[in-house]
Amino acid sequence: MYRFFLSLRYLRARKTNWIGMAGIFVGVTALILILSIMSGFLNESRKHLRGNLSDVLVQPMLDYPIKGKGAPRRDVDALLEIVRSDPRVAASAPQMVWYGMISAENKEFYASDQERGGLAVANLVGIDVEAEFAATDLRESMLREPAPGTTTQRPADVDDPFAPPPGYQPRGFPAESIIVGERLGAAWGLQRGAEVEIVTATIDPESGRTRDPINQTFVVAGTFRSSHNSMDLERIYFDRRVLADWLGREDDAFSQVLVKLHDYEGDKRAITEDLGVKLHQAGFLHSPESPLFDEVKTWEAFRRTLLAAIENEKSLMGIMLSLVMIVAGFCVFAILSMMVSEKRRDIGILCALGGTPKGIMSLFLLIAFWEALIGASLGVVAGVWGALRIDSIERWLSAKLNFQIFDRKVYLFDHIPSVIQVTGVAWIVAGALVCTLAFAMIPAWRAAKLDPVEALRFE
Amino acid sequence: MVDSSTETNEQTAPSQEAPERVLAATGVRRSFKVGDRRLEILHGVDLELYRAERLCLMGSSGAGKTTLLNILGLLDRPTEGEVEVENVRVWQLGQAQRSRLRNAKIGFVFQFYHLLAELSALENALLPAMIAHSAATFRSKRAGYTNKALEMLTRFGLAERLTHRPGQLSGGEQQRVAIARALLLDPPILIADEPTGNLDRATGEKVLDLLFEEQETRGLSLLLVTHDERLAKRCERIVHMEDGLIQADSRTPIPH
Ligand SMILES: Nc1ncnc2c1ncn2[C@@H]1O[C@H](COP(=O)(O)OP(=O)(O)OP(=O)(O)O)[C@@H](O)[C@H]1O
Ligand SMILES: [Mg+2]
Repeated sequence: MYRFFLSLRYLRARKTNWIGMAGIFVGVTALILILSIMSGFLNESRKHLRGNLSDVLVQPMLDYPIKGKGAPRRDVDALLEIVRSDPRVAASAPQMVWYGMISAENKEFYASDQERGGLAVANLVGIDVEAEFAATDLRESMLREPAPGTTTQRPADVDDPFAPPPGYQPRGFPAESIIVGERLGAAWGLQRGAEVEIVTATIDPESGRTRDPINQTFVVAGTFRSSHNSMDLERIYFDRRVLADWLGREDDAFSQVLVKLHDYEGDKRAITEDLGVKLHQAGFLHSPESPLFDEVKTWEAFRRTLLAAIENEKSLMGIMLSLVMIVAGFCVFAILSMMVSEKRRDIGILCALGGTPKGIMSLFLLIAFWEALIGASLGVVAGVWGALRIDSIERWLSAKLNFQIFDRKVYLFDHIPSVIQVTGVAWIVAGALVCTLAFAMIPAWRAAKLDPVEALRFE
Repeated sequence: MVDSSTETNEQTAPSQEAPERVLAATGVRRSFKVGDRRLEILHGVDLELYRAERLCLMGSSGAGKTTLLNILGLLDRPTEGEVEVENVRVWQLGQAQRSRLRNAKIGFVFQFYHLLAELSALENALLPAMIAHSAATFRSKRAGYTNKALEMLTRFGLAERLTHRPGQLSGGEQQRVAIARALLLDPPILIADEPTGNLDRATGEKVLDLLFEEQETRGLSLLLVTHDERLAKRCERIVHMEDGLIQADSRTPIPH
């Protein structure tokens, strides 16, 4: 009984204990904040990495390879039919992917040497609007609020994005519409209705030789904002048939098919295998056994290296976080050691009154336990509260300090991302308790070892 | 029967009433390591304390009185020899049992009171009961112990001081709280090492009156160390100690 009673009494009476508690409080709060914000960042980064990739990507072999080159596969409808017949598939969208350069005749100033040359790389993506909307979040990208400091040029009718922009005044022959990435549009000063010339080269599938470059004028019907930096900077969407026609392909040509699943986590492994087998049997893909060809894969497999980097970052973070715990534990260790020296006489008295070394030890461990419990509980409250409102806290602090703490432009985030991970929080609390008690063992053990006669000798 | 009779007879023989031996040291030696030498302080002490006896231990400073008391109070282990509490050899017990024995059988009163500074007078007096019981049993017995402590503290004239911390009490008051603490669990033995050594004569006298009164009414075995001759006269048995040996015992005089 006295352990319980005295530990609480000592806790209350000795002000130094509050320092230890404050240390644990600050440690736990900081850890929860850091964990939540880092998790938020990593989640966002994962989303960015995914970009406009769908759950699963089908990239069939080229149609008729000649000297290692070939034309994109044809007969998209046949392939889509096979894909869509699978009940696990929610939606699928064919894409024609090519590269070109955008010519910046109408640019007012040039930021770099390449721009002075008047060209910049563009990722040309031909889409079927309806299918694309179903399989990716392109529609949301077009509707998204502009990044701070920019203005988006939303298509006049988002559901018919390739309609000629209202008030379009063609300089010559009326051009086909394109949707450009927000950052590309901003960098090149492309307003809705502006005409832009795109240059590309194609390959003759028969000979495998590069044909003469071709160029054509297009009109900007709007911009999109995926928040995925490289996409917003390079990508241009076309109607797939328009792009195919310009590149000299047939209407049913395509480069890849994006597949969206009902239950990605549950089905991702099985569906990539099943689709690989089915599409191989239909003659679209190589044998799934062939190690050279990896034609059906999840978006995670597609971005494997970068995702691995994120996971790596997470475990590094864990190691750093545990260091903070050790600091908090050391804080308690120092305070408790001080207390044991201060309370030598009390320890002797307790022994004389019938206290056992074990009891004395648990008395001091209990003090550490209360400190950890109170500190960690308050830390959880403050940490979770802070993580939930980090965005407004930062805005408030920035306004007060008159200094932008978190520059949202740098990360292309509208807000500071933060995710409360319940298991993570539980681990932090458990870690704080274990770490504190482990450190408290040493002074508690010293207290138990104290010779009562020594401890009682005078004051 | 015949084999063991020798020892038993010696123990119970001394008088016809056969007073009960509650605490005994037999052949106790205690030496300390000082630097790389061993310094022997007690050179084989035999001392027995009987039930309801008032024993006064005297001797010049450094004679080893406190050292002996620590050993008799089970706080210190003799280098050699035996200590028995109610005929139980205490150093053959486990740590926990010995602590329980100390808690139940021996009350301590120190020269410097040794109250816990964070606890009130009442809480200090209740401490032995808190140590004796788990949280659950203490809760169920709390009222009984509190009444007992209140009764004692009131009798000792501390009714107005119950919630005071030791720092707010005078020396005499602190020592009276310490006596209440020592008596809370009704131990048969009370060990007091110069309980008035830190008090002025008048206060010391009052504290001693109180101590002796409790000793008499409870039939306590009191083992008292003092330098005060007048005080010693009030004890029925006086033991003189010098240089770590018993020199004279008014009960069973040791020839030398
Ligand atoms: N832990 C120890 N280490 C070394 N010497 C010790 C130790 N404890 C006691 N002594 C020595 O033992 C001797 C007896 O000490 P003790 O405290 O028992 O004397 P005492 O009779 O109680 O004296 P006083 O009347 O002054 O209280 C002293 O000389 C003391 O220095
Ligand atoms: Mg002494």
